[in-house]
Amino acid sequence: MSAAATTTPVQMVNVQIDGVWMQFPKGTRVIEACKQAAKLIPHYCYHPKLTSPGNCRMCLIEMGTPKMTPDRKPVIGADGKPEIAWIPRPQISCAQDVSEGMGVRTNSPMVQECRKGVMEFLLINHPLDCPICDQAGECKLQEFSVEHGNANSRFLERKVKKPKSVELGPRVTLDAERCILCTRCIRFMQEVAKDDVLGIVDRGSFNSIACHPDRKLDHNYSLNTVDICPVGALTSTDFRFKMRVWFLKETPTIDVNCGTGSNITIGTRENRIYRITPRDNDAVNGPWLPDSHRLNFKFVADPKRLTAPEVRPQLGESKPGWQQAINLAAEALKKNSGKVAILASGRATNEELFLVSRLASALKASVVDILPRTGEADGMLIAADRNPNTTGAKLLGVATGKLAEIANGIRSGSITALLVFGEDATNAGLTADDLAELDALVAMDILPSATTDKAHVVLPSSAWCEKRGSMINLKNRIQRLNKAVIAPGSARDDWEILRDLIFAISGSNGLHSIEDVFKAMASATPTLAGLTLSRIGDLGVDLNNRELPSAGHVVPPTLPTL
Amino acid sequence: MNIPADLLAKIDEVITHYPVSKRSASLPLLHLWQERFGFISDEAISWIAAKLELSPINVLELVTFYPMFRRQPAGATHIRICRTLSCALAGAYELRKKVAAAAGIDLVKFEEEQKRTVVHGHPHNPGHGNPIAVSPDGKFSMEFVECLASCGTAPVAMVNDNFKESISLEKAADLLNVTTSDATLPKVLPPHPREKRIVFKNIDVAGYTPDIDCYVRNGGYEQLKKALTMKPEEIVDEVKKSGLRGRGGAGFPCGVKWGFIKRGGPKPTYLICNADESEPGTFKDRYIIHQDPHQLIEGMIISCFAVGANLAYIYIRGEFPEGARILENALNEAWSRGLLGSNILGSGFGLNIWVHRGAGAYICGEETGLIESLEGKRAYPRIKPPYFPAVLGLYQCPTIVNNVETLCDVKHILAMGGGAEYAKLGKPNNTGTRILCVSGDVQKPGYYEIEVGSMTFGELLNDVCGGPKPGRKFKAVIPGGSSAKVLRFGERFKLKDRELGVDDIPLDFDTLAACGSMAGSGGVMVMDDSRNMVESLNNLNEFYAHESCGQCTPCREGAQWMRKITDRIIAGGGTDKDPATLKNVADNIAGKTICAFGEACSWPVQSFLAKFPEEFAVKSVKPLPPPMPPEYNAEELSKTPKIEAVAAPRGNSQETMAEAATR
Repeated sequence: MSAAATTTPVQMVNVQIDGVWMQFPKGTRVIEACKQAAKLIPHYCYHPKLTSPGNCRMCLIEMGTPKMTPDRKPVIGADGKPEIAWIPRPQISCAQDVSEGMGVRTNSPMVQECRKGVMEFLLINHPLDCPICDQAGECKLQEFSVEHGNANSRFLERKVKKPKSVELGPRVTLDAERCILCTRCIRFMQEVAKDDVLGIVDRGSFNSIACHPDRKLDHNYSLNTVDICPVGALTSTDFRFKMRVWFLKETPTIDVNCGTGSNITIGTRENRIYRITPRDNDAVNGPWLPDSHRLNFKFVADPKRLTAPEVRPQLGESKPGWQQAINLAAEALKKNSGKVAILASGRATNEELFLVSRLASALKASVVDILPRTGEADGMLIAADRNPNTTGAKLLGVATGKLAEIANGIRSGSITALLVFGEDATNAGLTADDLAELDALVAMDILPSATTDKAHVVLPSSAWCEKRGSMINLKNRIQRLNKAVIAPGSARDDWEILRDLIFAISGSNGLHSIEDVFKAMASATPTLAGLTLSRIGDLGVDLNNRELPSAGHVVPPTLPTL
Repeated sequence: MNIPADLLAKIDEVITHYPVSKRSASLPLLHLWQERFGFISDEAISWIAAKLELSPINVLELVTFYPMFRRQPAGATHIRICRTLSCALAGAYELRKKVAAAAGIDLVKFEEEQKRTVVHGHPHNPGHGNPIAVSPDGKFSMEFVECLASCGTAPVAMVNDNFKESISLEKAADLLNVTTSDATLPKVLPPHPREKRIVFKNIDVAGYTPDIDCYVRNGGYEQLKKALTMKPEEIVDEVKKSGLRGRGGAGFPCGVKWGFIKRGGPKPTYLICNADESEPGTFKDRYIIHQDPHQLIEGMIISCFAVGANLAYIYIRGEFPEGARILENALNEAWSRGLLGSNILGSGFGLNIWVHRGAGAYICGEETGLIESLEGKRAYPRIKPPYFPAVLGLYQCPTIVNNVETLCDVKHILAMGGGAEYAKLGKPNNTGTRILCVSGDVQKPGYYEIEVGSMTFGELLNDVCGGPKPGRKFKAVIPGGSSAKVLRFGERFKLKDRELGVDDIPLDFDTLAACGSMAGSGGVMVMDDSRNMVESLNNLNEFYAHESCGQCTPCREGAQWMRKITDRIIAGGGTDKDPATLKNVADNIAGKTICAFGEACSWPVQSFLAKFPEEFAVKSVKPLPPPMPPEYNAEELSKTPKIEAVAAPRGNSQETMAEAATR
C-alpha cells in the first residue's frame, strides 16, 4: 500500500533492518518497512486493511531500541551509527510502527526458531487434506511450511475435532478444522462490512469461527472473507471443489457491473471461467469486491449465447457468413442514411464507443445515446451508476441524453433504421411494435433479446471478459479490460464488427488492431493524449491528475498482499 | 419472550452500572438469566443480544467461552468439584467418584456418551465441564471445575452457590444435601507468633463481622478521611516511597504503575480491583472479600482518589457468588454513610464502585483479559504495545488494575504514617507483608501473613506449617502459584554471594527470582515423597489446556498438546522422545505469546522436566512409533460418528464427492 501523497513533508526515521540502515516515513508498520526493504515477514493474522490483533505470532522478529547512556543520549558505535539494545524476547512486527534508531532482525536464529515453532503449532491439529482442499496452491500454511516448517511431525496425539462443511451463509462454507483462528474474517465483517456476524465460539484449542443461527453471513461482501482467509477454512460455496487453483489462468481485468470499475482477476481453465477475485488497487477497490459482482459471470457460458451472424430471410440468406452479414447490415443502414439512430451501451469500451461515434458520422445518424442503468449505491463499492463506462461514453460524445428521441423519431417517421449495440431496445422505451416499424434494425449482442428477435441482422459479439479495451470509471480513471476467454462460435470482437461496418459503409479507416483504435481515439481526444493501451498498465491512470508518462516508463510491480 | 417483571427490573438496574458501554452488562445479564432459568437457552442469547443492542454472535461467544454458563439444564442440585492440583492431592478425583455414585450418576457411561456427543454442531472434545453429568432422576448434576481458590482447605466444592471446604471423602454423600456455606464460616484461628498480621488483622478473629459498624469500630475509614485531606499526588508519592509491589503475581511496583497515569487528560481514568483470584494455590483474597470487605473498599476509595478515578469496578471471580453479595452489601453500606457518591465526606471527590462477576475463566486474572471481559467480550488479553492499561485500558481510557491485597496495603501505608514507615517492613525492594497461601502435603496448610523475607522456606514449611505429614518427606514445592517454577528439595542454588538449598531461601521477591522461580501470587504448593511428579504436572497441564483462551497460536495449540503428551505418558504410552518433545513445546510457547499465560503454562513443564527427569524417564520408555491408540484402529474409526454441521445440510448435489472426502 503506497503512502498517500501529502503536502506536508513526511518525517523520516532511521531503522536498521538486518544490519542495513534505511529510512522510512514515520507511522510505517515494522512489517511494512521490512516488506519495503524486500524482507518479507511471514504472517497470517496481519492484513494491511484491518486492525492488528497480533494473534498468529508468525511475524515474530527481533527488535531493538537505541542503547542509551544514563543521561538518555544514544550510544554511538564505532561505525558512527547508534548502537542497538536488543530486546531479549521476540516481538511481533505487525502492531508496532518504526521508531528512530530501531533495529530489526528478520532472519536471526531466534526468529527462525520462532517461525518453526509457530508453524508446527499451526499444523498439529490441521487436517492433512491438502489434496482436496480448495486453498491448496495458494495456501499460506503450505507456503510457509516449505520455508519455515519442520520436515517431520512429532505429534502423536489425536487431533482436535471441529465442525466441517458448515454453511456460514449462502455463499461461504467453513471447515473449522482447517481454520488457524487468525480472525481476519471476523475483523473484516466488523471493520469493513460493519456487519458483526462472525465470532469465535468455544475456548482454547477448541475455538471455532461461527455465526449465530439467527444471523447468517449473508452480507454482499461475504466472499471477501474467503479471499483474505490465509488457509482453506473459508471457501466459496460457488467455487468449492470445482477446480485446482494451479490450473487456473489468471487474467487481470476490471469489473463491469457498475461505474466503480473494481479491479479483478478472472480465473479460467480451458476457456471456462471458474472464479473472479478482487485485484488489489487502492485507487479503486482496495482488495475488496462485492459478491454480487464477482458471481455475475455465469451468463458468459450461457448455452443460448449468439454464436453466428443471423439475417432475416427477406434480406437474404438466414445463415450468412460474416462478410455477407456485415454487407447486408451496412447496406440496410446506408439506405436510411440521415434517418439512422444508434442505441449504444455504457457497458461498451472506449474503443467501441469511439468507433460508434465514427459510424454515427458515416451514417449521418440523427440520434446516438447510451442506455442509462442505475441502482442503489451501497456506500462501499457498488455505484448507483450500473454502467461501467458512462464516463467514457460522455467523453467520447456518445452519451447524449437524447434517448427519448429514438422512440419519438420512429413514431414520427424521422428515424427508419436503428443500430442497437449491446442493449435490448425494449429497455430503452421502445416497444416491439416500434421495432417492427423500422426499415432496418441491426443488433449486436451476446445473448438473444427482444431486440435480436426482431432484428434484420444480428451480429454476435463478445462479453467483457472476451475482449480487450479500456473504460473510464466514475472517478475518471481509465483502466484496461483484458481477454480471459475466447468468445463462443464465430462471435467476434465488438470493435472488429464496428470497424468492418464502417469500412463497408465508407471505406477503409486504417485500423488493424485494438492498439490502432486506441491511438486514433487518443489523438482525437485531448483528455487521452499521450496514452496507449499498454501505458494504462494494470492499475489504470487517473485522468484528473495525470503525469504524462515518458516513453519507456516502467510501472514498478506491486508486491502482493499476503 | 416473557420476562418476569422482577427479573426485568434487575436487568435494567444492572445495565445502569455500565454508563459507558451497555455491552459490559453481558456477563451480569447471563448470570441473572442462569440464576433464574437454570441455563442459557438459545432464545436467551437472542434476547440478551437484542436488549444490549448487540449481534447475537457477541453473546454466543461469551456463553461458550465462560465455563460457568450452561446451555443445558443442570440438576436441581448442581455440584462443582475442584480438580486442580491441591484438591487433586487431597483426593478430588476420588471425591468425584463417590459423589457420582451417591447421586446415581454412571461416570463411565457418561464419559462414553460424551465422546459421541455433538453440541450445536460442535463435537464434544475431551475435557470436563461441558456437557455436565446429570443423574437419571434429574435431581443432581456434577462437573469438575478448575481451582475454586481455597487450596488450603482442599478438597473443596460448590453445591449450587454454597461453598464447602475440607470435605471428608468418607462423607462425600453429604454434598448432595448441602444447605449452608462454609465461605463465611467463623473459624477462630490465632495467628502464628512469627506472623505479622496487617491486612489479615481481622481475618478469622472472634466476633469480627463484615458489616460497616464492626469495621468502623475497629478504626475503619479513618485513613480515607486522612487521605481526602491530602493531595492525590502526595498519596501516589507515599505509595512510591513504600516500595509496595503488586500482590497479584507479577510484583510490579504499585506507585510506578500509578505514576503512568497522566493527570488532566481528556479521557477519564478508571480503577479496577482484580478480585479474580484464580492462580491455583492462591486463596488470600477470598478471606478479605468474605470477612473484611470494607478494608478493600477503603483501600479502593483512597486509591481512586490518588489516581483520579471516579468510576471503579471490582472484578470478582464468578466462583465467589457470596463474596459478590457481601461486597455489594458493603458498597451499599458505604454509600449510605457518604463514603461513596458524588461528594465523598464533603470533599468534592466523587466515586462509584460496582461489583462485576466473572464466570470461571482463569485468563480474566490477566489485566488486559480482565478489561476485555469487563467490556463484555471474551477475555482475550491485548497486545502490549500499544494497549498498556495505564494508557489504553477500559474503554480505551487510562486504567489502573490492582490486586485486592495491593489495594488493602494502600490503606495501611497511610495508617502507618506514610510510605517510609511501610518500607521499614520487609527488606529493601521487597517491602511490607505478604500473605502466603500454603497448600498440599503439609501438616497445617492455610494462610500466613509474614513480613517479606522474614523467614525461609524451611521455617515456613517446618516451623509454621508443622512440617511434612507423618512418615513423609518434602519432595517439591511450587513457591508462587501453579505457574511458578517448581523447586526440588535437595537442589542447591548458586547465587552471586552464597549457595542455598530450598529450605534456606528467604521468602521475598528477589531471592526466589534469583533461584529461578518467583514469589508470584504467594501460593505455596507442597508435594511430598508420595507424589508422582508426572501426574502432578499432568494435573497442571490439564488446568492450562482448559484455561488457555485460545487467542494466540503457541498457547492455544501448545497447552493442549502438552496436556495430551502427559495424558499419554501416565496412561502408559510414553515414548523415549516425549521428555525432549515436551520441553521443546514449552520452549516454543514461553516468551512467544500475547500475554504471560504462555510462561504460566510452560514454566511448570520446563521446571518439572528439569528438576525430576528420572520420573519422566521411567515412564517414557517405549520406542517410536508408539502403539496406536485404539481410536486409530480401522474398526474404531468406522464407529466414530459423523460430525454434523451447525447448519442444515447443503442441497448442492455436485459436492457429494468432496463432502464425503472432508468427513
